[in-house]
Amino acid sequence: MTVPFEAPPLSLTSPLQAEKLCVSYGRRPVLSELDIAFPREQVTAIVGPNGCGKSTLLSALARLHTPQAGRITLERRDIRSYGARELARALALLPQNVTAPEGLTAAELIRFGRQPHQSWLRQWSAEDAAVVDAALAAADLQALAHRPLEAMSGGQRQRAWIAMAIAQQTPVLLLDEPTTALDLGHAIEVFELVRDLAAEGKTVVMVLHDLGNACRYADHLVAMRDGRVVAAGPPSEIVSRELVRELYGVDCTLVTDTDTGAPLLANVRRARDIAAPGSSIS
Amino acid sequence: MTTASEHARPALAPAGSWRLPLGSARSGRSLLLDKRACVANLLLAAALWAACVASLCLGEVSITPRAAIAGLFGYGDFMDVFVVQELRWTRLLAGVLSGGAFALAGCLMQTLARNRLATPGIIGLDNGATAFAVASVLGVGLGIAPPAMALVGASVATAIAFGLAGGIGTQGYRFLVAGIGVGAAFDAITRLMLARSAIDAANAAYPWTVGSLNGVGALALNMLAIGLVIGLIGAAALARALGVVRFSEGVAQGLGIRVAHIRLGALVLSVGLTALAVAVAGPVGLIALIGPELARHLSSRRGVPLMGATLAGALLMVVADLAGRVLFSPIEIPVGLISTVVGAPVLLWILLRPGHKIGV
Repeated sequence: MTVPFEAPPLSLTSPLQAEKLCVSYGRRPVLSELDIAFPREQVTAIVGPNGCGKSTLLSALARLHTPQAGRITLERRDIRSYGARELARALALLPQNVTAPEGLTAAELIRFGRQPHQSWLRQWSAEDAAVVDAALAAADLQALAHRPLEAMSGGQRQRAWIAMAIAQQTPVLLLDEPTTALDLGHAIEVFELVRDLAAEGKTVVMVLHDLGNACRYADHLVAMRDGRVVAAGPPSEIVSRELVRELYGVDCTLVTDTDTGAPLLANVRRARDIAAPGSSIS
Repeated sequence: MTTASEHARPALAPAGSWRLPLGSARSGRSLLLDKRACVANLLLAAALWAACVASLCLGEVSITPRAAIAGLFGYGDFMDVFVVQELRWTRLLAGVLSGGAFALAGCLMQTLARNRLATPGIIGLDNGATAFAVASVLGVGLGIAPPAMALVGASVATAIAFGLAGGIGTQGYRFLVAGIGVGAAFDAITRLMLARSAIDAANAAYPWTVGSLNGVGALALNMLAIGLVIGLIGAAALARALGVVRFSEGVAQGLGIRVAHIRLGALVLSVGLTALAVAVAGPVGLIALIGPELARHLSSRRGVPLMGATLAGALLMVVADLAGRVLFSPIEIPVGLISTVVGAPVLLWILLRPGHKIGV
C-alpha cells in the first residue's frame, strides 16, 4: 500500500497556534471559535476592518486576555503553563501607542528588553551588553543610542521600541499596528526592519491597518471579520476582489506588482450594492 | 548562545551606570548602580544631615553644632543636654521618619497608578487615617491605639476608593477621582466628630488634624521606625519591577512583569507607610507629592527614585518643621501648614506646566 504524500502537519511548522479560541469583553464576544496557526520564520500580517478583533487576537496571543474557551499553544505548550518571565523570553509583544517615561534614551529603553533575562542578583551581564548593542545595530540606531526618545522622529522611536523587543531575544515577535502613526517613509523603515528580522529567523506576527502594505511585506496573510478568520494564506493566493469586498465593503481592481509578485489594489471605491461590514452587528 | 570568548570579555556597564560584580565574572552575578541616582542620594543625604544638625541647634534657645552633638550623647552643659535630648531629638526623629515614609509611600503610589498626582494624601488616605485616629483619641468606637486606628482608617479609605473606581485603570484617573471623594467624606467625618465632642477632647485631637511634630508618642514613633525599615526593604525588592510598571500594562506584561502582583505589593507598602506616618505627624500629605518630585528631578529617569524620594521627604519635613519653629518664634507654625503653603504651588506646577506628561 502506498502512502500518499502529505504536507507536514501545521503544528510542526508553526510555533504559535490558537485552537477554538473564544474571547469576549463582558458579554460581547470578540473572537469566536477561532483557529489559526502562524508559519515559522515568516512575517504574518493580520488584517481586517475596524473592530474585527485583530488587536484582541494579538493581545490574547501574548496572554493579555484570558480566553473564555479554547487555547493558545506556543511550541505545542499551552501558554497558560508558562511562567511570566519564561513567556517573556519566548514571545515579545509591542502594543499599540506605547509611551516611555520622559527623558529615556533609545539605549536605556532597549535595556529594559533584557528584563526577563535578568534578576535582582544578576542585573547586568556581558551577554546583556552584547545583545543591546546588537539590537541597536539591527534597528540602525547606533548613532542615536543616547538621544532621548522625545527628540527622535516617529520612525526612529518605533524602531527603538522594536529594538527593545529584539533585545528580549524571543523566537516570536508580535507587533500591534507598528506603523499607524507613521508617514510613508518612516513606515517603510519599520517594514524593512521587520523583513530583516524574519530573514534572521524570527516569527513575526503583526496587525496591520493597511491591506496594501500587508500584501507587500507579509509572507502570510490572515484576513479577519467579525471575530472570525475569513481567509489565510500567502497574499498572492488569497487576495481577491471578493475578499477585499467582504472585508472592507469596497470594490477595487487587483494588479500584480511585477517586481514582487504581490497583489496591488488599484481604483478602490465604495461598493454600493452590499452591506458595509459591521452593519450586521448593530 | 554566547561563546567562551564572550564570557571572557569584561561586561561593559551601560552608559551612566556602575556595575558591581558579585562573585566570578562567569556567574554574571552583578548589581547595576545608576551614577546619577547615587550622586543624587549622596547630595540629599548630606543636605539631610545638615538640616538635622541645624534642627538640633536652632530654636528659642540656640546652641552650637558641637554642643548639640555632644548634648545628644549626654555631654556638655546641662541645659544643652536637656534641650537636645528632651525637646529636639524626638521631634527630629519624628520628622525624619515621617517625612521619609510619606515620600516613599507617595513615590510607590505614583508609580503603581502611573500618575504623579496619585499620592496617598490626594486620594484620601491621610484623611481616612486621621478620621480613625481622631475617633480613637476622642474615645469613639474601639479602644485601639491611634497608630493602629490610623492603619485601619488608611486601609478602609483605600478599599473604598478602589471599590468605587473598580481598580486603578490605565492612568489612574478613576482611582484618583474616587479617592478625592473618599478623602472629602472622611475629612467631613473628622470635623463632625470634633464639633460634637467636649472642648478638652477636641483640643487633644486637634494636632491630628493639622499635622504637627509636637508631642509625638513613643509607640507611634517606634511603629513608624519599624514600618519604614520594612517599607525600604520591600521597595528595594520591588524597585526593578516598578521601573517597568511605569510603561503601559501591555509592555510591562510583555517583559514578564506580573503587573497586578507588583501593584498590589506597592499599594500595601504605600498604605502602611502613610498610616504609620499620619499616626506620628498627622496629615502632612503634600510631602508625598514634593519629595518624589524633587528626587525625580535630581535622579535619572532610568529607574524609580525610591531611596531618593525617601531622603528628599525626610529633608523637606525636617526643614519645614524647622522653619515652622524658627520663622515666627515664639509662635510655632504646624509643619502641615508649611508643607501646604510650599506644596500647593508644586501641585499646580505639575498640573499646568506645558509640554509635559502627567505620567511617572
